[in-house]
Amino acid sequence: MVTELNESNFDSFVESNHIAIIDCWAPWCGPCRRMGPIIEEVANDLAGKAGVAKLNTDENQAIAVRFNINAIPTLLVFKDNVLVDALVGLRPKEDILAYVSGL
Amino acid sequence: MDTDVFVIGSGPAGIQAAIHASRHKVSVTVAGKPSASAAAGPEMDNYFGTGHVSGSQLIAEGIRQAESTGAVFVGQNVISSSRGGDGSFRFVLDDGTEVVSKAVVIATGISREKLGIPGEKELYGKGVSYCAVCDCNFFKGRRVVIVGNESEAAISAEMMTGYASETSWVAWDMKASQVLLEKAEAAGVRIYGSKPLAIVGETKVEALELEDGTRIPMDGVFIELGARSAADIALDLDVMPELDDTIKVDTGCATEVPGVYACGDVTGKPWQVAKAVGQGCVAGTNAATFVKGER
Repeated sequence: MVTELNESNFDSFVESNHIAIIDCWAPWCGPCRRMGPIIEEVANDLAGKAGVAKLNTDENQAIAVRFNINAIPTLLVFKDNVLVDALVGLRPKEDILAYVSGL
Repeated sequence: MDTDVFVIGSGPAGIQAAIHASRHKVSVTVAGKPSASAAAGPEMDNYFGTGHVSGSQLIAEGIRQAESTGAVFVGQNVISSSRGGDGSFRFVLDDGTEVVSKAVVIATGISREKLGIPGEKELYGKGVSYCAVCDCNFFKGRRVVIVGNESEAAISAEMMTGYASETSWVAWDMKASQVLLEKAEAAGVRIYGSKPLAIVGETKVEALELEDGTRIPMDGVFIELGARSAADIALDLDVMPELDDTIKVDTGCATEVPGVYACGDVTGKPWQVAKAVGQGCVAGTNAATFVKGER
């Protein structure tokens, strides 16, 4: 089960992972529903290498505004507590793993 | 409206599914616009037994055959889909008609249409979106434009008026139903009739330029071309589409959800009429036998 983030644990999750990947989603978003199982697999494959979590942008709009999210699904990618990229749109697991291995 | 088998799509796959399903003495209703089929334009030389033939000619004759077996063509798109708790499937059409069916055949084809204008790719996620339902919340109190000629654009435009400070809709070849058009107008949507030329902005969307010289200052551009996609319809029916928006089926054209079948281009390549009608035959037959409790 991928960790669900909110206002209270978002910053500490990003700080405590060398690499953090946050899947920003909302329940009524079709592409987000398709991204869900992919993120579960990514989290399993990257266990011990990167922290993978989910953020419901509907329930956490302040964080969405803070990171200027305009479309979902978006993967926020942090390295050493710094936002390095925002990957917008549905994408296959292999692309995400390849991206992370290049960080 | 109640029907045994509901076919979504009226190209070669959907028509063939309708012909075979209705020959099994079940009621068949077909949604979709025949003119929207990928086969409606081109001429072909590689289809069995016809020689050189136009796709439109095949479609027109196919509809006549299907109607003669009892299938009903409603000529409208599906705007929403869901699964009922009793195992039924529920749909809403362009004009608001509700359809309840016992089995479904998804034969929508796949969308090959891209807007393909400067700024579209570069500003994706920076104001350009392909899903109004997903991203409406990010545009509260901001100015948005919806781009598209059909029902998805109309529905998105009306919905966005509940979020945006200003909602415009660019439709250069209006095909949305009168009902949806009137709803959008009543909600205060401003409609433009010229084709988009470019999405302008450096780090975020600033404006949409049209071919007639109009420049619409904008914070968000929602590209909603065509009718509701097969991927969205499938998701609503609990069928998980593939990443390329195709729908996985078994050799019986069945999806993972009992009673839901798919055929034609939507199941993947080859995008050929011959394959579409072959699968249409299988999907239509199996949908009918499912309704009759023989599967």
